[in-house]
Amino acid sequence: MRRREFAVLIGPSLLVMVGLLVLPLVRTIQWSFQEVTYGQVGTFVGLSNYSQALTDPRFGRAVFFTLLLTIVVTSIILVIGYLIAVGVNGLGALRPYILGSMLVAYVLPGVVGAVSFSWLFDSNFGGVLNLAIERLTGREFLWFTDTWPNRAMIIAHTVWHLLPFSVLMILAGLQGVPKELREAATIDGASAWKMHLYVIIPTMRGIIGFVCLITIMDVLRTFDSLIPLSPQADAIGNESIMYYVFDNAFRDGSQQLGLGSAVNVLSILLILICLFPFIRDLLKEAKTKA
Amino acid sequence: MRYRTYLRTGLTTLVIAATLSGVTACGAGSRTGAADATAVECDYTMPEAETTVNVLAYNSSAIDPFTNTMVKSCTRENVTLKHDPIDFSGQVTKTTATLSGDTGSYDIIETYGFAVPEIASAGSIIALDDYVAEYEEKYKLDALNEGMRSALSYDGKLYALPMQAQMYVMAYRADVFEDLGLTPPKTFDDMIEAAKTIREQGDIEYPIALPMNATADVSTIYQAAMNSTGTDFLDAGEPQFDSEGSRQALEGLQSLLPYMDPQVTTFDQPKVQQQMYNGTAAMAIMFSGRMNDLTLDTNSKLAADFAFAAPPSIDSDAPYLFSRLSVDGWAIPENTQLDKDMLFQMIASSVSEDASRASVPAAYPAREGIVTDESSKYAVAANETTAGTMPAPNDPASAPVTNAIRPVLVQVLTGQLDIEAGMQDMQRLAEETVAGN
Repeated sequence: MRRREFAVLIGPSLLVMVGLLVLPLVRTIQWSFQEVTYGQVGTFVGLSNYSQALTDPRFGRAVFFTLLLTIVVTSIILVIGYLIAVGVNGLGALRPYILGSMLVAYVLPGVVGAVSFSWLFDSNFGGVLNLAIERLTGREFLWFTDTWPNRAMIIAHTVWHLLPFSVLMILAGLQGVPKELREAATIDGASAWKMHLYVIIPTMRGIIGFVCLITIMDVLRTFDSLIPLSPQADAIGNESIMYYVFDNAFRDGSQQLGLGSAVNVLSILLILICLFPFIRDLLKEAKTKA
Repeated sequence: MRYRTYLRTGLTTLVIAATLSGVTACGAGSRTGAADATAVECDYTMPEAETTVNVLAYNSSAIDPFTNTMVKSCTRENVTLKHDPIDFSGQVTKTTATLSGDTGSYDIIETYGFAVPEIASAGSIIALDDYVAEYEEKYKLDALNEGMRSALSYDGKLYALPMQAQMYVMAYRADVFEDLGLTPPKTFDDMIEAAKTIREQGDIEYPIALPMNATADVSTIYQAAMNSTGTDFLDAGEPQFDSEGSRQALEGLQSLLPYMDPQVTTFDQPKVQQQMYNGTAAMAIMFSGRMNDLTLDTNSKLAADFAFAAPPSIDSDAPYLFSRLSVDGWAIPENTQLDKDMLFQMIASSVSEDASRASVPAAYPAREGIVTDESSKYAVAANETTAGTMPAPNDPASAPVTNAIRPVLVQVLTGQLDIEAGMQDMQRLAEETVAGN
């Protein structure tokens, strides 16, 4: 490919990336060292925004909750997603319908799905799941005001929302495992358990790493679902980092854009730390294939 | 090959599902329809160029009639009024953003008495007195209630043209009250006694319903309780959170908690309405703009059983009712690039006599003589509440102070913090906010 053709083809993408990714990132970093309100030029305040965020116990609670949610949801999604993918892979003509119905949860707008999900636990709107759980356990759960029941509901919603994508990806990975490998393992007398553990999973390590990467990124950015699912998130310690940013920077006419930017920079660092092993593995794999 | 087939099928399904959900989501958030709104005279000087007037106003059954009238009546020839649906919280955020720069996204904004002092003192909206003087006769603006004009004034100048007011009204189950020989409560103690009687009867475990969601709802409830004692968040700019009135308010609200749903701090007004619709509460106190919904039998089979009364006072010695008077009105941003005379005539037409009359019973219009005792099932209660509510204070620091103290208030009401410590914390936060304002 000639240089000119390359430039023409890559140019628009480059322009969009600079405009929508690089410039906002530069502005976010700049604002994180300033006191900024709408329509005004910022005033340099050094590390004040960072020290304000890092000494705020509420921010600490938000980081803890976000990391907890990320670890639990990613683990559940990997295990259940794999099991469902294996099950779906064994289906015949029903497979596309099952897959299609599962994907509805993934393509629903976040807030719409979260509101519907919250009604399953809200006795004001029927609360079918709440009723069933109460009947089964004989206990009354305060899903919206008690910390752990609320966490369980948020985790359940996040898994419900993100699971279909993982199933689709893992299913694609399963389809890519060479038939010969399975046959060889069967001839060698491998049990089903050992087949998955030592043959199939290692073969599709790249796909699993990709699923982890996307899930971690999605969960670390949890925000809009908390509005219906956890109306008093701050008071019960179930506030995510992004919700903390929204509450401080924008909500009710607040204008702490500097503080919001500082927390965003810290979030980017946190995301990079969480994703480092997966990015490294993906790069290694790409290098090997090249 | 099989893998590709399945992937293709899955992706096709994904696209169909995404399209369907996109279509339904778009339907849910379509532009506010003004087709069946009241048409009134909107006689401004037509600009020569094509002009779009962007209107910012949250959607509710009380505000929509005025917004829709303005959009329908003032859109003609070169001028198009554009109003996109938004909730109250979104309006607050967008108001801050649009008023901050040299230019803004909106040309007419809906605002309310609590917010006017802050944005007026910042010079973000224009004083309307000259326009009122010029167009008073044409739009009969002298009929707009003086108290409501005062609620939207700052430093002696009118900054928003009042359209309607909301005040707390109590809705209660007349059938339950009658069966148990109860009368509408006059104090918090009466409410508790009535709640005990209703609970003992066995059908309703949590008879009292208040919107105490940990947002503006909970701070409004607290302010209403303080107002009942004759105190407010600020007195001549000085925070009053460590006052006796504040203590009475917090103790009074805490005394009601055992008779409310345990998750009440997550209940906004629609959820409280839902409690009444479902029959899981027997008395609820909300803003009057929510009451018309309770009278509609399409919303609940209990609609005919709901009756309305003025809310109680915090105790028998309290000078005012447990209520807030919130006045809504139209303001013109200083940074709009459009002809302000034209914009004023648009907002004046939306509060005209015909428009105000058409807003009843959903709203309580600012125009005098429109709401009579026969206007709606809750008109008597609304009129009684208006007379017994502490006059709305105007202070530029009210809004930021309210935002600052809210997290502590929630901690007090959820029992995470005792009242004394909460009062001191709120006082400190408020003093810091006032000093930094």
